[in-house]
Amino acid sequence: MIPFFSIDNLGVTTANKTLLSDIRFTMTQGDYLCVIGPNGAGKSTLLKTIMSIVPASSGTLKLNQIPLSQLKQKSLAQHISYVPQAHGHTLFFKVNEFIKMGRYPYHSAFSDWSQTDQQAFERAVDITGSTPFLERRMQTLSGGEIQRVMIAAALCQQTPLLLLDEPTSFLDPHHQVEVHDLILQLNQQHNISVIEVSHDLNHACQHSQHILALKHGKTLWYGNSAEFMDTQELHQLYDQQFVFTTHPQSGAKVALTSEIK
Amino acid sequence: MSRKSHLILITLTTLIILVVSPSIGHIHTDNAELYNHILMQIRLPRVLLAFIAGAGLAVCGMVFQAMFHNPLATPFTLGVASGASLGAASYVFLGLSFSILGIDGSSLAAFSGALIAITIVFGISRFRSGFSPETLLLSGVAINFFFSSLILFIQYLSNISDSFRILRWLMGGINIVGYHDIMQLLPFVSVCIVTILWLRRELNLLMAGDDIALSRGVAVKQVRYILFFVTSLCVGAIVAVCGPIGFIGMMVPHICRLLIGSDHRWLTPATLLFGGSFLIICDTLARTIIAPAEIPVGVITTLLGGPFFLWLLLKSRLNTA
Repeated sequence: MIPFFSIDNLGVTTANKTLLSDIRFTMTQGDYLCVIGPNGAGKSTLLKTIMSIVPASSGTLKLNQIPLSQLKQKSLAQHISYVPQAHGHTLFFKVNEFIKMGRYPYHSAFSDWSQTDQQAFERAVDITGSTPFLERRMQTLSGGEIQRVMIAAALCQQTPLLLLDEPTSFLDPHHQVEVHDLILQLNQQHNISVIEVSHDLNHACQHSQHILALKHGKTLWYGNSAEFMDTQELHQLYDQQFVFTTHPQSGAKVALTSEIK
Repeated sequence: MSRKSHLILITLTTLIILVVSPSIGHIHTDNAELYNHILMQIRLPRVLLAFIAGAGLAVCGMVFQAMFHNPLATPFTLGVASGASLGAASYVFLGLSFSILGIDGSSLAAFSGALIAITIVFGISRFRSGFSPETLLLSGVAINFFFSSLILFIQYLSNISDSFRILRWLMGGINIVGYHDIMQLLPFVSVCIVTILWLRRELNLLMAGDDIALSRGVAVKQVRYILFFVTSLCVGAIVAVCGPIGFIGMMVPHICRLLIGSDHRWLTPATLLFGGSFLIICDTLARTIIAPAEIPVGVITTLLGGPFFLWLLLKSRLNTA
């Protein structure tokens, strides 16, 4: 099968620290990869390197066989979109203004808002259910609404690959489920390939197709999500023992942190 | 009111101010020819210069606020204007007098000073990612102090007349005769404003943060270099002619943002017009309050700007607390 997106021997080093080394994986079109691991493992750095926010020190990243290093930032943004970790940074925009800014990679300094732009915008708003708060200011949105708007803005870029950095970390359980459902819908119905950084082990194992477990900037485990619960690496990953039970409704295997020290 | 009607209102007000202000203030003569001369060679150039300088300073302030995600970051608070002042003061002190390609030496000296200062600020902001705005502003204060001391030192070494010339110019003023200075300024301010209008979409995304700008496809580094360069040219040219007129770059964009929102497609023209007419009003006050004497216009803008700065600072403290 022709790989859609591949990373080979990726390393990221800053002045005095190695953030990532020898990362490699391939994805097919429509794959859903969850990146998990303890704090400081390099999960966010991986996403930022793919988005060319953080420069790679070594290795190659290829999308449809084209090395990403050959793409200008603007064409990269036509292929990959990114939803950053929720940050305290206040955005002083109206929601519809902000979402429309996602069409930037398709514009030059003098181009006007086109029919195609409008369609992409309406579709993104529609899928994410952002219609009710289009006229509101970003600062007035709740955590769940912000996440929908951030995803809508990324969808506006109409990219085949979507990167999400802990999209549900600051949400209550109900909004977590909503955002998980939204991501699944994007992946399954709209055939968007997804790389998601998550702290939610059970979500990663149940919903994604593949898991990349990072520890200290290195790959600890990579493979089919369904198999991860049965591996020793699960316990090594967080230096934490887990016990297992079965979800009463879905029957899925659920990991819980062990109470025995 | 919609953004469009706000912008139309600002445009109309600006036109009225441009037309009316040259004839404000008594002209003591019955001689029609002399009257005309004063109006066309003194009052009109002065109003035009005030408009161009005010527009340029306000737009540069707006760019800095967007790039550093902070309403208190402007070419003045970050030390770029004092860099330009140092350049121009050195030019006076060294007794230089030259021009290259029709650009006065004082402007070139001011550009150099501004570029040096902005390189330092840029270096500091890149020193570590996630640099807090407070640290950046404090570094700006340090740069300001450093350059101001150098200016004082130059003044101390100068003879009485140069020293007075530097002092008077540091207060900021737009008292010019004829159109020479306007022609000095216009190309730089125009280039700067056209570039900023060109980069309006990029500015919107930069304001949302570098990560978001990059992920939408903005070549952040290049855009930032371009903006730093054109704003240095603009601030340098204005400071060389008018001296460091403070606080316009901070107040005007902020007020315009409240009126018209943060979208730079609307904000840039509004800031430009508002900044221009604001400096005309300040200058008209400067020459009429204690007529026939004049107050340096920089004194007026700073008197208005100081309290405004405090208000912004307290407001943002309250919001984050």
